[in-house]
Amino acid sequence: MSADGPRVRRIWQEGERTLGIAWTDGRTVLYDVVVLRRACPCAFCVEEDTGVRRLRDADVDEAVRPSRVVSVGRYALTVAFTDGHDTGIYPFDALHGRSAAFGGRDAG
Amino acid sequence: MTTPGEHAAGPPPTEAAVRDALRVVMDPDLGRDVVDAGFIHDVSIDGDAVLFELRLTTPACPVRDDLERQCREAVAALPGVASVAIRVTASTRASAAVAGAAALRGVRHVVLVGSGKGGVGKSTATVQLARALAAAGARVAVLDADIHGPSLVAMTGADVPTEEGPDGTVPPEVDGIAVVSMGMFLTANRPTLLRGPRVTGLVRQLLTAFAWGERDYLLVDCPPGTGDVHLTLAQLAPVSGAVLVTTPQEVALADTRRAATMFRTLDVPIAGVVETMAGFLCPSCDTLHPIFGEGGGARLATDLGVPLLGRIPLDPAIVASGEQGVALPADAPAAAAWREAGGALARRLSVLADQRGDALDQFELVWRDVG
Repeated sequence: MSADGPRVRRIWQEGERTLGIAWTDGRTVLYDVVVLRRACPCAFCVEEDTGVRRLRDADVDEAVRPSRVVSVGRYALTVAFTDGHDTGIYPFDALHGRSAAFGGRDAG
Repeated sequence: MTTPGEHAAGPPPTEAAVRDALRVVMDPDLGRDVVDAGFIHDVSIDGDAVLFELRLTTPACPVRDDLERQCREAVAALPGVASVAIRVTASTRASAAVAGAAALRGVRHVVLVGSGKGGVGKSTATVQLARALAAAGARVAVLDADIHGPSLVAMTGADVPTEEGPDGTVPPEVDGIAVVSMGMFLTANRPTLLRGPRVTGLVRQLLTAFAWGERDYLLVDCPPGTGDVHLTLAQLAPVSGAVLVTTPQEVALADTRRAATMFRTLDVPIAGVVETMAGFLCPSCDTLHPIFGEGGGARLATDLGVPLLGRIPLDPAIVASGEQGVALPADAPAAAAWREAGGALARRLSVLADQRGDALDQFELVWRDVG
């Protein structure tokens, strides 16, 4: 990520299980929060050395929701989920550049 | 608790015995036992019944059932234990990012002062930039996060904080500048041997325990190089920019570039470069002797595409200022150079803030339950 990377212009809850982010480059992406939880990049969910995902999709309940979404410094956000998990740091460049992997789809 | 002797099964176990017994249970991922990993909480012993909390790092823990069973077996095997109750929870500690952001709410610019190598005058730069900004009318605080060699207390003569306010510990002030240092909390003359998690905890504590109040600038003296302290700071605080301090020598440049890359990775913009030891201004002949070479700072700044905020000559008055904890005499050769560097930094931070445009500096979204 560089200092010229994408940043959050606006962030909001869209309906029941969707997180909306308007990026500074004009893109708007809607993220499914359950996929976001399943894609958690933290060291408990992903093997650090190998990058192999340890968390299986089935481990995450469809009912899981964020309780809070908070900025981390100026380069990332973190989500506290209702299942108690709050160690994932989602860098903006990943959320923006690989949005589909985080359950994101571009809003029309 | 019941009185001893009430139960026939023998004396109840002590909490220490329970914890000791649990040390045989290893978390396979962390490679540490559950006690050492801090998973065991609220051990209570009521006669022959033992209750404790097993606090996992995630409710989706793949080995949750295994750990619970092993803990139960380990404690049940203790003499004097008839029943074991385990409450399995997952840590829901308040997000560190929230705590950091809340503590720094009144701070407009958090600025990290870093360098590739040690010994380039980074702490001096932190103090002198702070003094220059304060002299220009800004409200300034400095945080000494150089855990390996905190020196800002010695350089400023700041007292140990004693006053507790409603928002936290009140930082001691020197000439109107709030000074908080790791050195205030470490034992003098003992080396600090700190590992990663401890470092992160200390930095977080320093940032969040103090009532920083309304400050235009919080300058943070970082350890040389790249590491846990920088990462923690960039995660806890919306950092406005980093100042890289270097000497004119080439040898320091490779390391300084590495530091620059780290800051960029964390989306901390490089505010600019300050070159220290930029020649010796001879008091007898009034000539600048470039005893450490020339142009290192300028080359680095060009290389990184950032401004050279200042070139500070060697000046015996700086040593005296640092050793006595007083401001530089206004007419000292270095004083003018620091004033200019401080002004250049302030301007550059304004430009960087402007370039961020309509990006959110920080946010906290609370999710509503819309069933």
